[in-house]
Amino acid sequence: MAGDELWYAGIRELGTRFRKRELSPVELTSALLARIERLDPTLNAFVTLTADRALAEAKAAEAALLRGDTRPLLGIPVGYKDIYATRGIRTTGGSALLADWVPDADSTCVTRLQDAGCVMLGKLITHEFAWGIQSPGHRFKPARNPWNVDHIPGGSSSGSGAALASGMCVGALGTDTGGSIRGPASFCGVVGIKPTYGRCSRAGVLTLSWTLDHTGPLARSVEDCAFLLQALAGHDAADPASSPAPVSDYAGALAQPIRGMKIGIARDFFLDGADDAVVSAFETALRTLRDLGADVRDVEIPNIWDAPSFMVIMASEAFAYHERDLRERPELYGDLLRERLMSGALYTGSEYVQAMRLRERLRGEMLDVLRTVDVIATPTSPKPAPTFTQMWDTRVGFPRSNMPPFNLSGLPALALPCGFSSAGLPISLQLAGRPFEEATVLRAGHAYEQATEWHRRRPPV
Amino acid sequence: MSAEISLDEVKRRAQVAGVAIRDDRWEAVRRLLVEALKPLRAVDSRAIATLEPAMRFDARGESRKGPTDGRR
Repeated sequence: MAGDELWYAGIRELGTRFRKRELSPVELTSALLARIERLDPTLNAFVTLTADRALAEAKAAEAALLRGDTRPLLGIPVGYKDIYATRGIRTTGGSALLADWVPDADSTCVTRLQDAGCVMLGKLITHEFAWGIQSPGHRFKPARNPWNVDHIPGGSSSGSGAALASGMCVGALGTDTGGSIRGPASFCGVVGIKPTYGRCSRAGVLTLSWTLDHTGPLARSVEDCAFLLQALAGHDAADPASSPAPVSDYAGALAQPIRGMKIGIARDFFLDGADDAVVSAFETALRTLRDLGADVRDVEIPNIWDAPSFMVIMASEAFAYHERDLRERPELYGDLLRERLMSGALYTGSEYVQAMRLRERLRGEMLDVLRTVDVIATPTSPKPAPTFTQMWDTRVGFPRSNMPPFNLSGLPALALPCGFSSAGLPISLQLAGRPFEEATVLRAGHAYEQATEWHRRRPPV
Repeated sequence: MSAEISLDEVKRRAQVAGVAIRDDRWEAVRRLLVEALKPLRAVDSRAIATLEPAMRFDARGESRKGPTDGRR
């Protein structure tokens, strides 16, 4: 096993090869570290590499395999977005403010993946505090999109998307306040799931917006996301929003066919302004789902255009979190993030409350729709990844996104590849489901993935 | 209520909040506010008087209209 076959192997295949002794976690980890050394100077996915620790963990995994340990994630090399606290390992949040912060405890998600046997390769670059964008001159270089390094990989889990797409790790952690797991998955042609609010712990993760922040995994296939989510999901007393809802068998659910599954298409808002290539890829994906036996029908979310009020909530909460540092050490924030955070101070208390009222109405309407269908399908992003030049152009506004409605509603939402633009950039399908029904969303995504080849394409790195 | 927000209003808001924004970025911040506040300004809050805010957010919770406020 070498080359692309090794760098892009999935969790099930790696586990099989580990147990047949055709490959060892040390060999895999060494190969990925060599690949990181070769590719990362261009892609900037990692902000901190923990090579010695990774090799030690891989050796421990190898010993556990010899003892007959059957954990599916044993020996699987992963990266953690640098917004998850890691004990004894610098955690920057992509910010000069925390450039030298070394936490004394792991975040719950990191603990759970390490306990499941994962090998930590390092920390993956994040947009500054999960919201800013690394403009030229920023303390940390921005990750680049492996499909075309002139384009952004999406954010804020930018390093996670870039590392997975380029075959530098097998799984990754991201966070998603307005699309920061699904956006990089979309732009980099990989898979990411934002679970239900409360499904995965936020404890030990830097806050952007308390009521919108979600944690979750990214990987290169729906099945790999299911394996990672299985280890991450579950109640955590350290997170006040954590849910005690029982955890499903995510990987086990994938085998069930989707014949008869009702899939709702919400065209209003989600297709507004979408590129022709995105619309075409989306309609083709719907035909594939129909061919698989799904009952695909249009649905309507009456007040979906309330979704942009998401920004009132996110910016207000983010300003509340950052206010002291913004006022006392503003120079430690990047220009763009500082401006975005400062905008959070410009909303009135009444406006925040009104936005939370509209949020409640929208969430109710989305739940009403999900009483008539099992899954809502949309394009993840109306357009493929823009260039850095476009993102850094201060005359250009913040682009509209299809992802925040699922942060507002807290519903689980999966992003997976469904095509490519004429310029060779990935296009993504978003599938969202009822609260705590991640298994249904993953099942739909897996069935689609098995019927298509998009997730098997590799970038020219 | 009009969805439009003038630069003067943005500057007044910034003054009240005591935050400084770079001169060349006022327009970008104004656009951000216009987009975010458009849905709020389109709603007559009296028409949704019984809708409670999602202050304690629970993804699974049923849609809560809340108790009547006594006016209807």
